[in-house]
Amino acid sequence: MSLKVEIAFKLNGRSVAREILTSTSSLQVLNRDFDLAGAKLACGEGECGACTIMVDGVSRNACLMAGVDLDGRDVETVEGLWEGNGLDPLQEAFVNSGAVQCGFCTPGMVMQAKYLLKPGKKLSRDEVIRGLEGNVCRCTGYHKIIDAVVAASGEAS
Amino acid sequence: MTLPQNQSPAEFEYYVNATSIEEACRALGDGVGTILAGGSDLWVQKDEGVKIFGPRLINISRVDELAEISIGNDHVRLGARVTMTDILNHGELGNIAPGLLEAANRFASPQIRNVATVGGNFANASPAADSVIPLICLDAEIELARLDGNAVAIRSIPSADFFTGPGKTVRTDDELITAISFKPRDGKSLARFFKSGPRPALEISIVSLGIAADILDGKLSNVRIALGAVAPIPFRARKTEALIEGQKIDDKLIHAALECLVSEISPIGDVRGSKWYRQHLARTYLQEALTDVA
Amino acid sequence: MNKIIEKEEIVGARIAKLDAPEKVTGRTRYINDMVLPRMLYAKIFRTDRVHAKILKIDVSKAEALPGVHAVITAADTPDGKIGVIKDNPPLKGDKVRCIRDELAAIAADTEEICDAALRLVEVEYEDLEPVFTCEDALKPGAPVIDEERPDNIAMGQNFSHGDISEGEKASDHIVEGAYNVHYVTHCNMGTSCCIADISASGKVTLYSQSQYPYIMKMDLAPALDIHPGDLRIVQPPVGGAFGSKLDVYPNEPICILLAKKTRRPVKLTYSREEEFIVSPTRQPVEFKIRAGMTSDGIFTFREVDSFLNNGGYTSWGATTPYVTMRTCTSHYVVPHVSYSARAVYTNNPFAGSFRGYGNVQATWCVEIHVDKMAEVANLDPIEIRLRNANEPNSITPQGSDLGCIDLVGCINIAAEKSGFLEKWKTNRATWDDGERYKRGIGIATSLHNAGGAKIHKSDGCGTILTMDDYARVTVMTGASDIGQGSDTVIAQIVAQELGVPIRDITIINNDTALGPWDVGVHASRTTYIAGNSAKRAAIDARGQLLSAAEKQSNVTADLLDLRGGYVVQADNGEVVIEIAKLLRQIHFAGEDSTLVMATDYYEPPTEPEDKDHMGDMSAAYSHAAHVAEIVVDTLTGEIRIEKIWSVQDVGKIINLNGLEGQIEGGIAMGIGFGLHENMQIEEGIVKNPSFRDYHLVTAPEMPPIDMTFIETDDHEGPEGAKGIAELPTIVIAPAIGNAFFNATGVWIDHPPLTPEKVARAIWERDNPNLAAE
Repeated sequence: MSLKVEIAFKLNGRSVAREILTSTSSLQVLNRDFDLAGAKLACGEGECGACTIMVDGVSRNACLMAGVDLDGRDVETVEGLWEGNGLDPLQEAFVNSGAVQCGFCTPGMVMQAKYLLKPGKKLSRDEVIRGLEGNVCRCTGYHKIIDAVVAASGEAS
Repeated sequence: MTLPQNQSPAEFEYYVNATSIEEACRALGDGVGTILAGGSDLWVQKDEGVKIFGPRLINISRVDELAEISIGNDHVRLGARVTMTDILNHGELGNIAPGLLEAANRFASPQIRNVATVGGNFANASPAADSVIPLICLDAEIELARLDGNAVAIRSIPSADFFTGPGKTVRTDDELITAISFKPRDGKSLARFFKSGPRPALEISIVSLGIAADILDGKLSNVRIALGAVAPIPFRARKTEALIEGQKIDDKLIHAALECLVSEISPIGDVRGSKWYRQHLARTYLQEALTDVA
Repeated sequence: MNKIIEKEEIVGARIAKLDAPEKVTGRTRYINDMVLPRMLYAKIFRTDRVHAKILKIDVSKAEALPGVHAVITAADTPDGKIGVIKDNPPLKGDKVRCIRDELAAIAADTEEICDAALRLVEVEYEDLEPVFTCEDALKPGAPVIDEERPDNIAMGQNFSHGDISEGEKASDHIVEGAYNVHYVTHCNMGTSCCIADISASGKVTLYSQSQYPYIMKMDLAPALDIHPGDLRIVQPPVGGAFGSKLDVYPNEPICILLAKKTRRPVKLTYSREEEFIVSPTRQPVEFKIRAGMTSDGIFTFREVDSFLNNGGYTSWGATTPYVTMRTCTSHYVVPHVSYSARAVYTNNPFAGSFRGYGNVQATWCVEIHVDKMAEVANLDPIEIRLRNANEPNSITPQGSDLGCIDLVGCINIAAEKSGFLEKWKTNRATWDDGERYKRGIGIATSLHNAGGAKIHKSDGCGTILTMDDYARVTVMTGASDIGQGSDTVIAQIVAQELGVPIRDITIINNDTALGPWDVGVHASRTTYIAGNSAKRAAIDARGQLLSAAEKQSNVTADLLDLRGGYVVQADNGEVVIEIAKLLRQIHFAGEDSTLVMATDYYEPPTEPEDKDHMGDMSAAYSHAAHVAEIVVDTLTGEIRIEKIWSVQDVGKIINLNGLEGQIEGGIAMGIGFGLHENMQIEEGIVKNPSFRDYHLVTAPEMPPIDMTFIETDDHEGPEGAKGIAELPTIVIAPAIGNAFFNATGVWIDHPPLTPEKVARAIWERDNPNLAAE
């Protein structure tokens, strides 16, 4: 049986603590221990980006991140973009551009796009395309997602 | 991934959150440690039940001294925890090692590049590891640390001698990879990296090829050619290197070099590509590199 | 003077999907995210053989594991089977027929305990001789897969029209070809998942990703030994389906049986690896085609014989010939046609339905072959298509009235916008110039049903519409939204009719206990059929509102209109009364009190195919033409698509966002099919069950797409619209295949055009004496 370890970290701006098994991934911790379903399990091996979260300002696949490694980190999930704030301009751009169909990839796309956006910097289509290359969408064919991110770039964050 | 129905996932009975090399080495001392850095390979393999993992999980992602890039006049040192994104964003490093820059650029995905470390790419010892290939071409050395009594002892291994089999290296169970270092080439030099796949990202190389050499008067010297995914370990094409060394690059030499390379490698066929295709790609990449020089 | 309200066009606009805000915030709870109180988790024990007699299944150790609540095998299962010819027992007790077979299932407190219990199941087998190809399975003495069908033929279809020998006589050229379409699979981002819950009175609620919840009840019942009426299907949001959930598969009855045994809610979710191995694929097909033409390139006959690798069981894959046949007999005007299909049992995994149904396969075969015929006739690809194009209102050999189609328009616009002919000629001149990179341009077109498809006794859909005291509208429709956006389309149609803002419309469609019947989401039918039903219900409600308004005002109903939440005078837009106020007035009117409610069941004016495959099964038909411009690296074999021109007859645009999204998404799926998606199945084993080795299209591979919509204004479709979702997936791959020939002068007959296949084809052409190993 795996060891249990106490971790404490910042989750969407709030300090949280939990006891978790060392064998669990960050994705399992977020999904199960914190009831945050935004980061999604779709492949479990870093090949689709549906579980993308931001850790210390850097995007990563929650399915590949050890749960214990959350300890001491500053973690942002898609829920944090909206709760307490209303729709983020990036989220609005996704809605208005038609970037969402089944939506299963959407939270991961939004978080990876959030990582790409730098305040005041307009992103080129090519920068966005390369930036989203680790996020798979089976529905949209990507164009409307790219449109949304380009549209949202250049805004103050 | 689900497990094959008869295998168990790795379980960890101890956890160490190391903050220094010494602390990490101490935790590794009895040889039952599993090192966690970026986790991008580990967390998949852990659940596949294929590899055996030590029950002590040692997290080195907070060992800051492992994250440094230092560039001296004749020496470049990448801490083991330097990520692919660090390499891409560094600027100066990319100018010194353009092959490494290109490998980092073609590596997995942005999210994985943000966490995957150069040390981890060596430690995991995949025959298809991308960042390893250009570093072998730079004659990089791997620094390994272990606790000797109460002091940390370091040894260096040439990158080309580091690998012993798929997933296997000369690293002993009590050792930690601390850095990859190399001497930059001066003067006019060639440094290329090629990788298969129409997708810029998320491709496990069917074949990758790196080449480095000094260029003088249309001749190449100190030639290094390394290939990924054509052998159980990253492969140095020494016969082809010798054939090119010091010779004028012309059509005849290129032709001979391609023949030599194909005879020198003996890749397997698998779901990603047949033996023929792997040979064909290797030939194609070398041809492109040499033709561009000529 | 009262307020003036201008007419607002909601239909045809660019409307954000109603569910998008919930999805971008991560608030949407997909079925995969659902947790019910006291819910158990389930996993299935699968075989590691492809064909074997089961001698013994011992689950005693698994049952004894702490945390395990139930283990079931065939011994605990009712005898009923599932599948289109009822040949698939949910749990296998006698023999296994393919690698995905279910032998036992476990319900436990956690998935981890299930995994541990799976490792404790012990099975003894006696291996049987396996067979993997149609050819081998049809040989005399071949191993028998299904004892009730000793010839190994699961299903078969034959059709002929005219007389092939007459066609041969009229032909100056006869061109033969063989095309094998490979295994691909849906790769829904949300893996297969279901949750079963049994009430204390014995009624079953199944939370399901089903695309056909109403018929599913009938299909599930025999395997459960319960009355279909005691089944309720609830559809939480799903992470894509694309045809993969049009049948009952063993996981659903197994999940219900575990819930029955434990009397607890049970959730069964596939891992990604399991999804690849277990979920049905697109039907692979081996085509042989002979086709004739005059020296002018006028088609004379077409003869298509096909074999479908059915795998171990029969799902909807075996029925794809009903659609394949339509393309083979009716795409372009061909006076004499014949078609045959045989679905042959093997020990491979089995196939289901997948966006485009059998038409992805058929259109690859027909469209590559048309370009080959053009070469023989010395015509360009545009000219041969124009000379043989279907005409509006023509009747096909199978009795379909094609109605207001515009194939000629599709071809001409695609050719003009892409500058096709000039590029096509230039590219051909470079075949032998020795350059590494080659440019190619190719066209393909396709015919598909666009007004439903009557494959059941009814192709209908019901709607129940109510308005509350605040003029908020609730529309209960039978139509499922699996992410494609039909809810938004239905809301637009209703909002347009009732003159209310779209945000005031709530669509309810996720529960068979609430919604009226619908066939299911398939065949590009939802906008057309459910849209029509919703429109008719909305027209009914509109009539109720207007006649009430007539009584409240001095204006007759035909002079009134509904706009922006108000009843207005149609001619000048002057407000008569707020709709909400009107609704309250008629609602609270003493003895005359009434609510505005409307119901509708729309049955399209179509007919099911008869036993001779005759029948006008769709209320509308449509074409698309795609042109692809590509660059081929003749050394690595990598193909980059530079640009795509898409021209499609859409009837009428309803939601521009949704329409473009369906076309872009369909193209992405079609590119994957054409270039690199490939389930590698060797001796019945799936060799690449992961996204690592099964490559979906990612953002960098998506080329710019120039989209043109032809609005033919279908007389039956809602607002004139036709179904649009499948054509883009169907038509793009052969356009790429034809572009490859234009680039290199080499045909690749069998998709996908993987880098290795391309490199090998070029190498073998250039080194005829040095065949690649």
